[in-house]
Amino acid sequence: MNTSAIDIFEFSQRGEEVPHAPAYRVRIDGETVTADTPRPTGELLLGKVGKRPCAFELIEEFVHDKNDVVEPGEEVDLRRRGLKGFITAHKEIVTIFINDQPYQIERGERTVAEILAKVGQTPDGYVLLEEKKGPPMPLPANLPVKIHGCEIFFSQPQSGGSS
Amino acid sequence: MEYPKEQIEELKTYCSKVRAATEGEITYLYLEELRLPAGCTPEVCDGLLCPVARDGYPSRLFLSVQVSPPYPRNWNVSNARIGEKNWYVFSWKVNLVSPTLAQMLVAHLTGFTKEK
Repeated sequence: MNTSAIDIFEFSQRGEEVPHAPAYRVRIDGETVTADTPRPTGELLLGKVGKRPCAFELIEEFVHDKNDVVEPGEEVDLRRRGLKGFITAHKEIVTIFINDQPYQIERGERTVAEILAKVGQTPDGYVLLEEKKGPPMPLPANLPVKIHGCEIFFSQPQSGGSS
Repeated sequence: MEYPKEQIEELKTYCSKVRAATEGEITYLYLEELRLPAGCTPEVCDGLLCPVARDGYPSRLFLSVQVSPPYPRNWNVSNARIGEKNWYVFSWKVNLVSPTLAQMLVAHLTGFTKEK
């Protein structure tokens, strides 16, 4: 048995079976990271390159150009023969969080009304706030909201008006 | 008048510094480099939160500049002199019952983000 981390890419290139090891070096988008289990989850591997499943998906790459999408909770067998590494892709339908609950939405520019509609609310009665680099701040109802995935929103009833 | 420490701490997340500024019988909260909602120009300015009734409003948020927000506002006070500084306020009435200081601040900032 190996006593140090082994590189699964090297084994895939040689067409050899990956042996048991204390750790495995894995390439994700060309970056080499280390996993200390032979069966990490997709979410764990995404986290190794600073990405989250609310915005990105993980794709296994095998020799002979075969690719498979890995779900966030799915375990990957790093010892599987032919597995050479992973790439990530920005999802088109991403997850955002509104009042601590996840919702699916298309990536890109969305309106405040579209986002509030996810929780059955409208800008007439509610304010949408986004938590980004600080505490939640109200968003103008007339400006588009850029959605990349993983954004955190809160809604609250309208609390004032022009007098 | 003193405000609860935990509420002052919460206010600090919206700006770089908070300090009390008493003038007359009112203790204002000076909010240095207050972040403004998206679409506002400038993005940051100093604020002065008056958490008690004044000028017929339950609370007021004075700003160091007349902000250009996503929706036009009725700036009904210009160059109000408080604490040796000029301040601007737009007409906005907050209707919250017993809000915390941060809730009150956000309710005023919300005034920049809605039409009426």
